[in-house]
This record gives sequence, C-alpha cells and structure tokens, in this order.
Amino acid sequence: MSVLKRVQQWATFARIWHVYDAAWQNPFQSAELLKKYLMGMYKPIYHPSNDCGDHVIVINSAEIALPGDEWKKRVYFHHTGYPGGATWTLAWDLHSKDPTMVPAVYNSMDGNLKRRYTMERLHIFPDSNVPKDLMANVSNQIRQIRPMPKRLDHYPEQQVKEFPKVIDYPKDYVVR
Amino acid sequence: MVFTTAVNFVRSRGPDEFWRKRRIFRLAAAFYGRKRNCYSIAVRYVHRALVYATKGRKLRKMDITSLRQTRVQAACEQHNINYETFREGLTRSDIMLNRKTLADLACWEPYTFKALTDIALRRGVDDGLINITKTESLDRIITRGSLQSNK
Repeated sequence: MSVLKRVQQWATFARIWHVYDAAWQNPFQSAELLKKYLMGMYKPIYHPSNDCGDHVIVINSAEIALPGDEWKKRVYFHHTGYPGGATWTLAWDLHSKDPTMVPAVYNSMDGNLKRRYTMERLHIFPDSNVPKDLMANVSNQIRQIRPMPKRLDHYPEQQVKEFPKVIDYPKDYVVR
Repeated sequence: MVFTTAVNFVRSRGPDEFWRKRRIFRLAAAFYGRKRNCYSIAVRYVHRALVYATKGRKLRKMDITSLRQTRVQAACEQHNINYETFREGLTRSDIMLNRKTLADLACWEPYTFKALTDIALRRGVDDGLINITKTESLDRIITRGSLQSNK
C-alpha cells in the first residue's frame, strides 16, 4: 500500500466530529438530520454493519423548540420494572429536569444492537460551554434546519433608532 | 448410489425411510439442540427455515437495492443535488446506469460520480427541473439544451 493510498484510507474511515446548534430547532426534524451523521449515512461507504458513524456535539439543547403544543401534550413513559412503577412525564417536565435528555434522536433510529453504541457518539450540552478537549476535535458545523432570527432587543440601540420608520406614533398613542 | 460407509449400505435396504429422514437431517445439521437430532422436531424447523429462505430471496434483493440507494443519495447530497433530480437528469441525458453501478462509482470513483452529477445538474437546469440561476460551475458542460438556451 502506497503512502497516498494509506492516507486515503485513513481519511475515508476517520471519525469526523460535527457540531450542531440546537437553539430554536425542532428536535424531531433535527433527529432525522443528526441520525445521518451519527450512523454515517451521509457517506457513500455506508453499510449497516460498517462502523463509519461520526461524533456529533449538540449545543444549546436547553433552547430547543417543540412544535405546536407538544410541550404540554407529548408524554414520555418509563417503567421501573416493579409493580406500580410506571411513570408518565410531560415533555416540559422532562426538559426542566434535564435539558440534555432528548429522546428524539434515540427514537428516530431502528431498535437494534448498534443503537446504544451510536448514541454514545452523541454529546449533548445544555448551553455552549463544551469541554475544550471535545471542541478541539470538531471539524465541521452542521447547518441548522431553520435559521435563527435575531431578536429586536439583541440589535444595538443605535441601529434600532436609526431604522427608517413608516409612521410616527401620535403623542397621545398608548404603546403597550 | 455411492456408499462411503458399510453402515449406510446396510441401512439403505428396505423402505426409504432412512433416506427420507436423512434429507431432513442434512438440512437441520446446523440447528441447535433437539431440533437437530429428533426427526419429528427437526422436520418442523426445517420447514420453517425453508419458508424463511424463500422469503429471504426477495428480501435480500430489496435490502441490497435500498442500501445502494442510500449510498447514492449520500453521494448526491455531497454534490448538492437531490436523488430524484439526479436520476431524472441522467435518464434524460440517455445515461442508463443502474443503482449498483452508481453506488460503485460513488464509492470507488468519486471524480467520475462528480462528473455525472454535473451532467445531471446541467440537464436539470436546461429542462427547468431545478431552480438554479447561477451556472458558472456548469458552463464547461455543453449540451444541446445549453447551446440553444444560451444560458
């Protein structure tokens, strides 16, 4: 094997680290996206028994956005195994207890022996504080599904004031 | 019939029962426990295994097809073209390659595959399959449509 081929081999099978910003993203759509990277389904060498999955670091998982009234309606079931050990936790409750608990990715994959090992390559952090040794590996950022809009109070005050206005409010107009 | 051992020669006399069972036991040779050694149990599991084998012949083909499609889809996404447009563009360009060939090209000949996606993109732009206005990267590919439309 020549030097070139050997390096090509390493480059093909090397694990890549991706980072994904989950702020204001739908976790169920994101799960379908992240699944492809975790299982290596975005590579032409993919095979179910081929260990070609990558690592994904998810940041800002505390700021995920569930669609509609899913926070109130979605229920996660757990059973301790003992009689009467069943519990049902609402999505908002689970999220307030542990913001890194995102079962959407796990549920999006088929239940087989590889699923647990695939999930080990997913690293979720509630905010953007990621350990430096993990962040040093990252070489790719996954594009967000929906662009995050910039809030009005995050613009500089000067820019907001200078923005051209259509009308001026009358002096006696009450702005709530 | 050739008998490798004298035992089998002796047992082959009389009714055909020994050989009928032996055929089943040959198929059950890799089973575990009593379904390997007891005929009445073995025959049930052999029948079930043969049913699985019959179904599996079809399922295997479907699995391979879907695996190849996953691979081609992955390669298409790397070149910013979706799978349906890619196949439609190739068909309209009279490039009749099946999933197997495309998957092999995507894996082993990435530059060839890149050329195919460029051709499919060019055809997609010519026929209005995709909304692309900037075609600088595709200008080197000359097709009948691109000459006529002067894009």
